[in-house]
Amino acid sequence: MQMTRRALSGLALTLPGFSPSALAQVDATRAMAFIQTTGNAMVEALNSTTLNLTQRRDEVATILRQAVDMEGTGRFILGRWWRVASPAERQEYLRLFEETLVRNLAGRFGEFQGVRFALGRSQRRTEDDVLVTTIVERPGAAAFNLDWRVAEINGQPRIVDLVAEGTSLRLTQRSEYSSVVQRGGNQVSALLAAMRGQLQQMQARQ
Amino acid sequence: MRFGPLLAAALIVVGLAGCATRPPASDPEALAEFEANNDPLEPWNRGMYAVNDVVDTVLLRPAAVAYRTLVPPPVRDGVRNALGNLRAPTILMNDLLQGEMDRAGRTGARFLINSTLGLGGLVDVAEWQFGIAGHGEDFGQTLAVWGVGEGPFLFLPLLGPSNPRDLLGFGVDAVASPWFWFGQGEIVEILRLVRAGMTVLDTREGVLDVLDQVNATSLDPYSTLRSAYRQRRAAEIRHTGPVAPEAAGGTGFGVGLGVPVPAPGSVAPPQPQR
Repeated sequence: MQMTRRALSGLALTLPGFSPSALAQVDATRAMAFIQTTGNAMVEALNSTTLNLTQRRDEVATILRQAVDMEGTGRFILGRWWRVASPAERQEYLRLFEETLVRNLAGRFGEFQGVRFALGRSQRRTEDDVLVTTIVERPGAAAFNLDWRVAEINGQPRIVDLVAEGTSLRLTQRSEYSSVVQRGGNQVSALLAAMRGQLQQMQARQ
Repeated sequence: MRFGPLLAAALIVVGLAGCATRPPASDPEALAEFEANNDPLEPWNRGMYAVNDVVDTVLLRPAAVAYRTLVPPPVRDGVRNALGNLRAPTILMNDLLQGEMDRAGRTGARFLINSTLGLGGLVDVAEWQFGIAGHGEDFGQTLAVWGVGEGPFLFLPLLGPSNPRDLLGFGVDAVASPWFWFGQGEIVEILRLVRAGMTVLDTREGVLDVLDQVNATSLDPYSTLRSAYRQRRAAEIRHTGPVAPEAAGGTGFGVGLGVPVPAPGSVAPPQPQR
């Protein structure tokens, strides 16, 4: 994984929209304990026999809102367009970002009934975060690797990225969002309009 | 492979017309992103993506859905096992070319066990009874291990996301396979066509949930797939992260995109809306 780390930090450096100012060194043991606690809470919610699907999703959403560094991750994903955005656009972007992320992940995880997870052996440190590896098992499906990138935000460990089977969610999403901005004539408003539409569709479905 | 040279010619002719504008040096952030995306042929690639999308919507996806609905899981597992077993000589060749003797030994043992006890590859006896798990490998990865760069990103109709290195690897794997050379006559030709058809069907079925998910949630599925493909290939080449199933070739969607999918049996998300 030596190479990923280099590739990822290299990418972060080449895209200066990402400012690591709010980040401080996070302790690996603390990061693992944090993922263990968060993971346990999620598994408990997902496997609950007293909650229905909507309640399970709401529970997972609440856990995610507390555990994910929404602002930092949102800024990372908007990348170089953050500085182009007006204060009002930034505010709306962060609101839409949190809402879509939570709905997306809660929607996906909400289906994981009977899920089990185990902390992996390898914990990889980078300069300002720790990648905590977990193995997720579901009945009747192949187990997959889910890695959680944890950084210290204002003195608290927070999730800043999810890496599923080697693919980083924030890198993929940054590529997606930047594409939407560029194809909308380099306007952040084009992305916001697309995000609003997407959120409406999601709300209509759930 | 007869369409190989034709494809190359088409690539050159249309590719020149479909170049993306490189951002000026005065905009270093835009330039850095342009280089990180590694997609100078983006306009052309997006055109091919649109073509692929039409073919996929009218043909491949419905075929994969029908395959999943009509054929019971044990039969589909058997098909995937058999396709993986047919790829074993190719995987073995690439294990050896990469100097991975351990992996080569496992691939060789699996091929012998599964071709005999596994009823011609239909049952994965090697993993089930002997605990020897399989892995995918292709010549695109071998080239990468040898230090060959990926080249510009390519999106090809039917084949999906790729690049010149992986596309060349795809061609070399096809030609270097013993099944390309052995046998002749009508029956052998029919068997080859059946294998090719089943490979397409199996691959598409394998990514049914993931692609539905991407199409339902991404604001720009093209760039999501581009980013996911390149990250997944990089992880595969390092032999970290996902273990590609044997039936998966190098180029194209593979059998996963690194996006967690809903549990099997759950309702598929609605069709892409864009």
